[in-house]
Parts: sequence; structure tokens; C-alpha cells
Amino acid sequence: MFIRRSLFMGILRSLGILGLLALGLGSAQAASVDCSRVYTLALHDHGLLYSADTDSGIDKDVADELIRRSGCKVTVSLMPRARIWQLIESGALDLSLSGIENAERRRFAGFAWYFSNKYYLLVRNDAKITRLSDFEKNTQLQLGVIRGFRYSESANSLVDSLQEDNRVNQSGGLAPLYQAFLQNHIQAMIIEPFDFPALEEEKIRSISAILPFRDPAVPHGLIMSRKSLTEAQQAQWRGLIDAMLQDGSMLRIFKKYFKPDLAAALVNFSVP
Amino acid sequence: MDAPPRQAFALSLLLRASPWIVLLAMLGLTAFAWDHERMLARTSLHTQFDAVLRETVGRMEQRVQGYEQIMRGVQAHLATGSLRERASLHHYVEGLQLDANFSGVQTIGVIEWVSDSARQEHEAAMRKAGFADYAIAPAGQRPAYAPVVQREPYIGVNRTAPGFDVWSDATRRAAMQRARDSGLPAISGKLALVEDGAAATEPSFIMYAPVYALGRPRDTMQQRNQALQGWVYAAFHMNDFMASLYGSLPPGLEIEIFDGTETEPASRLYQGGAVAAKSPADSLRATEYMVVSGHNWTLLLHAREAFLQQYGRSVENQIAAAGSLLSVVLALLIWQMVNAREQALQLAHRMTEELRHMAQHDPLTGLANRALFSDRVSQEIALAKRQRKHFALLFIDLDNFKQINDTFGHAGGDRILQRTAKLLQDSVREADSVGRLGGDEFVILLPQLTDADSVMDLADKLRRALREPFQIDGQTVTMSCSMGIAVYPQDGVDELTLTKNADEAMYRAKAEGRDCIRTAVAAPGSTA
Repeated sequence: MFIRRSLFMGILRSLGILGLLALGLGSAQAASVDCSRVYTLALHDHGLLYSADTDSGIDKDVADELIRRSGCKVTVSLMPRARIWQLIESGALDLSLSGIENAERRRFAGFAWYFSNKYYLLVRNDAKITRLSDFEKNTQLQLGVIRGFRYSESANSLVDSLQEDNRVNQSGGLAPLYQAFLQNHIQAMIIEPFDFPALEEEKIRSISAILPFRDPAVPHGLIMSRKSLTEAQQAQWRGLIDAMLQDGSMLRIFKKYFKPDLAAALVNFSVP
Repeated sequence: MDAPPRQAFALSLLLRASPWIVLLAMLGLTAFAWDHERMLARTSLHTQFDAVLRETVGRMEQRVQGYEQIMRGVQAHLATGSLRERASLHHYVEGLQLDANFSGVQTIGVIEWVSDSARQEHEAAMRKAGFADYAIAPAGQRPAYAPVVQREPYIGVNRTAPGFDVWSDATRRAAMQRARDSGLPAISGKLALVEDGAAATEPSFIMYAPVYALGRPRDTMQQRNQALQGWVYAAFHMNDFMASLYGSLPPGLEIEIFDGTETEPASRLYQGGAVAAKSPADSLRATEYMVVSGHNWTLLLHAREAFLQQYGRSVENQIAAAGSLLSVVLALLIWQMVNAREQALQLAHRMTEELRHMAQHDPLTGLANRALFSDRVSQEIALAKRQRKHFALLFIDLDNFKQINDTFGHAGGDRILQRTAKLLQDSVREADSVGRLGGDEFVILLPQLTDADSVMDLADKLRRALREPFQIDGQTVTMSCSMGIAVYPQDGVDELTLTKNADEAMYRAKAEGRDCIRTAVAAPGSTA
């Protein structure tokens, strides 16, 4: 009888533990990420997003926080933006940050939005441009862009149209574009709020003006390779980003780099 | 069934203009095709050119990444031991087997970070390791030094004496600082390698990777500065680096690589491909700013004639030539067709006119025939009736014409008839009309008469004129005629009565001796 009772209690206890375990697993799965392998994440050197010289920036902070919350081992590397998109498409790279989507990218990448921003044309004063359309009309003017970058709708159409006329100079990063801009090899470049600190430098500010593109703000987010991450895995990473937005840690990161109102404007967005 | 005149005119105008319309339309079509083909060729050329640029940049970036990977290996190897374990690094580099695939690498070396206070100890240790004359160069006291302590593979130029303080050179120092601060490999600007000797000019660059003390934190820039032990570096000749890239540049492209973003000859690192003295201003060219291991290079790609010909498929000129030729030929063809139609129409019109003339005129004399004359009389009756006017019909018959015919034959007779017709026409007023009713019978319609005497005067004038002798076949001939006159309305109010009365009067004249004029005897009631 005792044996029977203890067996019964044992079964009951086991069931209880199993139930608790199932509950625990269920809740853990909603918040955590499948860490059965080492992930790869790539940063690109771009203004406040990431500076290789100081190994710091918004993307670095977001990556650190994301990795910490996931509990996974993630190898972080630095590479040009164009290479990042190639590797995300091929599935050789799992994750990257601050990406924007278009029809082509939606094919091979999933996104988890965490901020949105507008685009601006930084143009030299001596180019005598007062409206965006003036730039396209003056065939002497050259635009500098970062290879692999896309922008808002009208900025994209400006780039595409100038590209046909052989008036676009590609660059692997932002730094040489500023150099070429100062040396008047290019007369304009497309910038975003995380490029603003460079404009505070006297030598750039004194020779340039900023013209905003009249497009709505474009959402930016975590880029996830569809080839290497399943829909379920993407949802787990998206869950981490959403949690960072909800608990204010994303805003805290942005406040490190921007004035509070701009930081809030960037992080409080609605996905179209 | 004929189109109204205005429509016919428009149609004729359209027909005349049609060759020009066709020419313009065809030339327009040719221009469109030419422009379309030109755009296609341009797009194809640009696509090819962009693809080459993208590939070249990609290959260079990948090659640099390959070297970064080698650097990381050396970095990791050194991090586990001491920078002074010379044999260990020697074996490691030997094990890397940097064959022709990595011919760009001249040297893999180690640099030790030495504070001024540790200088003596450092120099002593190096002398003890076998470099009896070792000293940090250039001489002089500085807060810190970064002397090269080892070069591998230890052959050829790499046997250059160690001790060169790399930190003393600004170009090298900038890259070393960047590597130290970021923890990442960094490459220098354009320089000449110490290993190549003092007179060396071959464009080169060096890649540095920091070596930190094992176990020391290096999360922040400050921590990395404190944990720094030295650097590993790889030195490259730019020409060899470019030669070690996979793939080749398509023919007709020139590539230039400059240090930084200025494209001055002094900063040129490399020039290769289809090198030409000067590219035409409108030639296809592109500038790409590369970021390689944190350093900027500018790549210039120029397309030369060979490339433009191969990828810029210039069939647009053939299209323009063939299209223009076809347009002209087609326009000429249509012009000829339209012209042939015009000519046919004109001929038909002329023939119709001739037929109509033949139907209404006497072929021998050209005078109005019975049908036309009868038509004119009917019209004159209608007019005279309306306007209450008079007109007269004058019948004329040549006297003894049969004898003349017999004497001179039909040909002679015909000539006399023609002469008579001409004489009559020349003698009457402009408003009068002369007709031939057949044989030797002529008739004259004299409209708008004021009185009957004037008819008689005219008739007598004609009679006398006809009596004038004339020559035929060398013989003098004298003719006469008999005439009968009927006047509207007293001698008849319709054509039949009038002609009958005039005819009758004329026969009376004949009966009463010929060569005279008789007027009609008015029928009872005919003047009513």
C-alpha cells in the first residue's frame, strides 16, 4: 500500500514537474531565442551607427543588448554595406542592423523595425542649388552614395536617374564621401540624422546646405537572413527588438547619441 | 458619282502630299528606332561597365579581407605567447605557405611597443637574441618607440637589420594608432618599404593589426591602449597586390588606384589595364571610393575604345542609314504611283473632252453639228421668250456644189466646205454661232436682233464674201450660195417651225435663180 501510494505520489509529482517544465519552456520560448548555434552579425561603419575607430555607436549598443538578451553566442564583424547585403542574401550572414527594405530585399531578408528617419541632401553651397530638382538639372554636378545603400522613394529615384547619366560616385563608406565632398569631387550626398555630428564640423557646415526629401520617414531595423533563419527564429529575434522598444531600452540607447526629442522622434514610429 | 469639288480637291492634295507624309513618317520611325537602339546600347554598356567596377571593387575588398584574416592568425598566434618568441613566428609564417597566390605580401613582421623607460632593457634583450648591433633607429629619445623586431620570411630584403622605429613615421603611425584604438587591422597610406632600401619608390602599403596582452580587458579604447603590446604587420607592393587578384579586367578598361580621395599623380598607387595617355572628355569613367581596412582608396575606371566597341553594340548607325534609305525609296515609290494615277486621270479627262467635242461638232469643219446647233436654238428660244427678244436663223446652201465635187473630187469639195466654214465664222459676230447640218448646208444662229434689216445686211455681206473667187488646185473657182431666213417669233416660235421656214425660204431662193436671199413667209398665227 505504501509502495502503491508512493508510486502514485511519484507519478503525480513527475506529472507536476513535467507540467511546470512545459509551462516554463513555453514562457521561456516567447522571450528567448534558439541558441543552438553560433550566429553572425555584421556592422558597417557609418556615422553614429558605428565607428570602427572607436568601436562604438548605436548599432554596436543595439547589437550588445540584443546579444545579451538572446543569451546566444554571436560573432560580430565589420564589413561594407554592399557586402552585408550580399551575405544576408546568400545566408552566410545571419543578422545586421539599421537596414531598410525594398521589394528585392524582402525576398531574402526579414526585418524588425526599431527606428525610422527621413533623408536629406547635403549639398555644397557653391553648387547653387535651392531645390532638389536643380541638382538633377545641372549635369556638371556629381552625387556620392554608399554602395549598397537605398533611401526614401524620391531619393532613390534621384540616385537612379543620375546613375543613368553616369553622375553617381559609389563609396564603400561615409568617410571618403565627406573627403570627396570637401574636395569638391562630389557636390552632394544623401545623409540621415546619424550623419549630423559630422555637419557640426565647421569645415563642412560652412560650405554646405541641407535640403530634405519630401518623403515620409523610412523605418530601419534588424536585418535577418531568410536563408539562414527560419520564420520562427526571426520571430524570436523580432520579439527581442520589440521588448527593447517597449521597456525603453532602445530609447535609452538613442538618447546617448541624440538630443532627447530627436531620439524620441526616431524611436517612436509607426510602420506603414 | 463624282466627289464634290472640295472633297476632290482635298483628296488630290492628300495624294500629292502622300510621298512627303510617308517620307516624314518613315524618317520619324527610323529616328525612334535609332534612339531606342542607342538607349539600349547605352544601357547595356553602362550595365557592363558597372558590373566590372563592382566586381573589381569586390575582388579587391575580398583580397584585403583575406590578408586581414592572415593578420588575425598571426595576431592570435602571438597573443598566446611572447612577441620575442622568434622561432615560433618563423615556423608559423613558414606554415602559412604564402605562395604566388599571396604574392602581394613582401613581409610579415612584428613590432614591439616600447616605452622610453623600457628602451635599454629592450635593446639589451634584442642584442642577446643575436642582433649584436641592435639599436632603435632613428636615434634620439622619444616618449615611446615601436621598433620592428622580426621580419618573416627571413630571406632576401627581409634580412634588413631590425630596430626601425615605425612610430617615428607619420604615415605608418596613423595606421598603427587606428589599429590600436579599434582593435581591427588597419592599412597605411602610400609609402615606400624600408625593406626595399632608401632609394625605393615602388608604391606600397602596410597592414597593421594590434597585439594585446592576453587576459587584459580590451572592450574600450582606453583598455585597448593599456593592453597594447605591439603590432603585427604585413607589407605589400601595390602592383603585386593587384596582380594577386583573381580574374582579369576586360579589354579596353584602364584602372587607377589612388591613396585617399585625391586623384593626383603623387598619390597614385596603381595604374593598369588599357593605359592611355589621355581619355576623351566624353568617355565612360567612374570613381569609386573604397574603404579598405579603415583606409580610403579611390578607384578610377576608364573605358577605352576597345571596351566601348565590344559592349556598346553600335548598330544604331546602321539602323539610321538603312531606315533613311528605306524611307526615301518608299517615298519615291509612292510618288511614282501617285503620279501615274494623276497622269491616267488627266488622259481620261482629255479623252472624255475629245469624245464630247466629237459628239457635238462636225469633224470636217469643226463647226457645231446638228445636235449641238439644235441645242443652242432651243436655248435661244427659251431666252428670247423670257426677254421678249428677236433672233434669226439663216440657212445657207452652196449653189451647184455637186458639180464642184465632181470637178475637184471629194477632197477638193471638202476643202471648199472647210473654206466656207472658216469664212462664215470669220464674218459673223461673236455672239452668233455657225453650224453645219450636213452636205453643203450651213446654218447661222443670230441672237439678240434689233431689227430684221440687220439680218438681211449680214446675210448679204456673207453672200458677197462667198462669191469672192479663190484658188483650188491651181484653178480659180467662183462660188455662190442661196440663203433662207426665219426670224423668231414672227416666222415660228419653236425650233421645228423656225428651221422648216428657214429651209423653205432657202429652197425658194434656189428655185428663184440661186445666189439670192429669201425670207420666210410667216405662217398664220406664228407671231402670236
